Amino acid sequence: MNPGDRVRIERAGVTNEGVLMPSSTAEHLVVKLEGGYNVGVDREAASVDVLESDVHAVDDEPAPEAGAVSEITFDEDLPTISLISTGGTIASTVDYRTGAVTARFDAEDVLRAVPDLAGRANYRGRVVANILSENMDPAIWRDLAHAVHEEIAAGADGVVVMHGTDTMQYSAAAMAFTLETPVPIVFTGSQRSADRPSSDNVMNAVCAVEAAKADCAEVLVCMHADESDDACALHRGTRVRKNHTSRRDAFETVGAKPLGEIDYETATEAGADGAVADEAIAFRREHASRGEADLDIAPDLADGVELATFAPGMDPAAWEHLDDAAGVVVAGTGLGHVHTDLIPRIEALVDDGTPVVMTSQCLEGRVCDRVYDTGRDLLDAGIIEGGDMLPETAMVKLMWAIANTEDVADAMRTSLAGELTAESRPWR
Amino acid sequence: MTEYDYEELGLVAGLEIHQQLDTATKLFCDSPTTLREPEAADREFTRYLHPTKSELGELDEAALEESRVDREFTYLAYDTTCLVEEDDEPPHRLDEEALSVALQIADLLDVTVVDQAHVMRKLVIDGSNTSGFQRTLLLGQDGEIETDDGPVSIVDLLLEEESAQRVEETDDGVVYSLDRLGIPLVEIGTGPDIHSPAQAREAAERIGTLLRSTGSVKRGLGTIRQDVNVSIAEGARVEIKGVQDLQGIEDIVRSEVRRQSELVDIAEELSDRDAAVGDPREVTDVFADTDSGVIRGALEDGGAVTAVPLYGFDGLVGREIQPDRRLGTELSDHAKRHGAGGIFHTDELPAYGVTEAEVDSLREAVGAGSDDAVAIVAADPETADLAIEAAAERAAAAIEGVPEETRDANEDGTTRYLRPLPGAARMYPETDVPPVEPDPSEVETPELLDEKADRYVDAFGLDPGLAEQIAFGQRFPLFETAVDRGVDPTLAASTLASTTTELRRDGVAIERVDDEQFLGVLELVESGDLAKEGVGGVLAEIAADPTLSAEEAVEAAGLAGVDRETVREAVVEVVERNADQVEAEGMGAFSGLMGEAMGALRGKADGEVVSEVLREEIGKRT
Repeated sequence: MNPGDRVRIERAGVTNEGVLMPSSTAEHLVVKLEGGYNVGVDREAASVDVLESDVHAVDDEPAPEAGAVSEITFDEDLPTISLISTGGTIASTVDYRTGAVTARFDAEDVLRAVPDLAGRANYRGRVVANILSENMDPAIWRDLAHAVHEEIAAGADGVVVMHGTDTMQYSAAAMAFTLETPVPIVFTGSQRSADRPSSDNVMNAVCAVEAAKADCAEVLVCMHADESDDACALHRGTRVRKNHTSRRDAFETVGAKPLGEIDYETATEAGADGAVADEAIAFRREHASRGEADLDIAPDLADGVELATFAPGMDPAAWEHLDDAAGVVVAGTGLGHVHTDLIPRIEALVDDGTPVVMTSQCLEGRVCDRVYDTGRDLLDAGIIEGGDMLPETAMVKLMWAIANTEDVADAMRTSLAGELTAESRPWR
Repeated sequence: MTEYDYEELGLVAGLEIHQQLDTATKLFCDSPTTLREPEAADREFTRYLHPTKSELGELDEAALEESRVDREFTYLAYDTTCLVEEDDEPPHRLDEEALSVALQIADLLDVTVVDQAHVMRKLVIDGSNTSGFQRTLLLGQDGEIETDDGPVSIVDLLLEEESAQRVEETDDGVVYSLDRLGIPLVEIGTGPDIHSPAQAREAAERIGTLLRSTGSVKRGLGTIRQDVNVSIAEGARVEIKGVQDLQGIEDIVRSEVRRQSELVDIAEELSDRDAAVGDPREVTDVFADTDSGVIRGALEDGGAVTAVPLYGFDGLVGREIQPDRRLGTELSDHAKRHGAGGIFHTDELPAYGVTEAEVDSLREAVGAGSDDAVAIVAADPETADLAIEAAAERAAAAIEGVPEETRDANEDGTTRYLRPLPGAARMYPETDVPPVEPDPSEVETPELLDEKADRYVDAFGLDPGLAEQIAFGQRFPLFETAVDRGVDPTLAASTLASTTTELRRDGVAIERVDDEQFLGVLELVESGDLAKEGVGGVLAEIAADPTLSAEEAVEAAGLAGVDRETVREAVVEVVERNADQVEAEGMGAFSGLMGEAMGALRGKADGEVVSEVLREEIGKRT
């Protein structure tokens, strides 16, 4: 008796026929009944007849290998968009018999899962990883940077990176620092899995492809602008943050409105035959244009960079592990502070040659360590002020700066990819 | 209507009863189960649904048909709804109160409860669920209820979330209200054991009584919905949605039997005539100069006229199959599902401004002779194509007989086409909610309503009529609490059953009075601080201002209690004013003076006290 067998189960005078499903508890057999319902039956108390073996395959399909590349037939007149997968469920299918959700990765699969993409572009599909985004790490960022670089070098007019939402902001920042790009690199994902009719994947994917066809050659995050299916926001990859656990519009540009917006309905129609849907996209601020930069890559990222959050009452010993770090970003309080007792540790780190960058848990606003004594002491200890950089972005940037620049402090104080602003303007 | 021999026709019917539960919170979130007016919405948002293909590449037929109708959905949200209803937060765990009530229902229906219940997602893409599916779980199977015509089996008992209420349909799509979405709902499916319209009614009535016995189901319009499955031997299974009341069930079964048997007759005749359905085509030119307002209107908006020849159908498209509904109406229903206003057909033409000459050219244009019929649709070109295709498909089905389908109940006891029957393939596990292991021994068997009425007579000495009124009414749990707290049972029952009904008839919003306020008023009567004659007035005060406590309402009604001395003063005054009458008639003057004394006390005093004092005072003077 195995999952997939057709069985007859008798229990307490009730007889059911159905297909045996995998069960999450040892005590129960789970059967899918004719009507589609699953029920769990006490294994000990039930009498079971196998009517037919292996009626349905209920095991998950093997996941695709990383590194696989696929193409959809080319039409000379259409722009070419590269779809790069790192995991997540923006394109997945569900087996109604078993409920198994299978993630989809190659270009053909993505098109089958999101048919609305067809005709908008030629697609090249590429799998860099198949992971949950909480398992993302700098090694995969290096692979991703190489893959994006190769795709652009091979002629892609734009790149869409399909990514789990948990760490999308880190990966977007990593691409922003490692790549000089003449074309758009657009991250997208879904907050509601693709196996449900209400998934945000269709709108996000269509808008991301249209943004990748457009004239903003930056690393962007393209996700729902609000709770309605009416527009996606285009966030600069170094200024964006996931600020809600579950809402569709979880991603926000911190400290300002998003860089741009793309109207779903207009984009759907205007881009349907491969044209660039300019009328659907509105940018609020300046951005790099297509072709402005020459394609380049500096993929090295230092290992051992830590993001350390200070909180009242914390054991200062918790920061002992920083002694081995290659660099530290502190998420301090307010204008950029930590408990006075922690200042000697920071001083020791700096003396030891470890760059320590101060950012703020406030997220919005600029670090300024000249206002209060603690701040001045921190400056004396040698911290690098992180300006209005987001702590997460600062961490990725520090990885890059340590591996690629001579003067880390100078690099951290200079805007490399729109992560820092020179002046604080009120929200607009 | 002719009464058919249901046995000979092979009538088989089953019921699906949907009942909302009256729990504090919704099935998968902590929002209250309160209904709101659309005007109270404080947010709205719009969504699309994208039907998901199964791995086999099969899409449920019902789902597919819905998806052809590409629509945007607007949702109204309230300060009583949360992100779960908006599909912007994962569902919480299954509500324990709802599970407990459902287990009581399982007990009453003699249903065997499953060892482990799995929450499933049932694909629903008409927008009535923000997620695109309804969460539902199979809680029990294999129960039974009794009817006079034999037992009716209960196939399954489901616990599921209620859908969102449809508020309106606009050109852009449908507007739904989130207040109702997620209210716990039990669905009870009977076996196909019902063989007459009257038995269908009786089974529904029995199930309704059992449900109300829990004291935890919602009452009022829309809180219970009945679907009826009907077929006759030569017909087909037809699922009829949304029958409102018990009489409606009987009527709908009767009229569906008629519809199916008429359709069987039509199919036989079509078969004798070698009937066939031709290819739809555009016939806009025929109507280029038409005087028909409907067609001209469509053409002026850039529309087209499409037609389908129905060979051998002459006279049958116009044949009545239900009161005022013809085979043509069925074709029209299908056309409407695809956005057309309806169809015209040659059995009803010339009419509606379409001339005989146009009918002749129409027949000529599609190659239809005098034995044939033609159906036409006038609409924008895309709709006209889809709609005539749908009408043609329905006409082709008429040659075969009765199509299996889901129909919607009309108020007059007839039905109209809604969508194809749902397939079984539209269900998959809700991975966000862990399975539950229900324990039926945790709940007590509720007392049935008729048993309850008998007990009220025996234990509390209630009048049988009043006992039944309170037991079958929605306030019996409150009645029992009141009696527990020492309120006189007859006072409690008459207040909660009769007084509330009278007040409602007088336009008092009695539903605004909560349980504690009712109990407060009753206890004031019990303690002698309020005359029972004043109860109605005090409840009306609370209904007008629900922030009042019972005591405050008594003050507000000007009914602050009067003691025996005050009563005596008022009575003495009345007796003295009528001294002559008292002298002449003695106790015979009592009833006249009683009315006057009560009037003088304006309901502030207990009638029994007044009566006692009045007797004493009359006695003193005779």
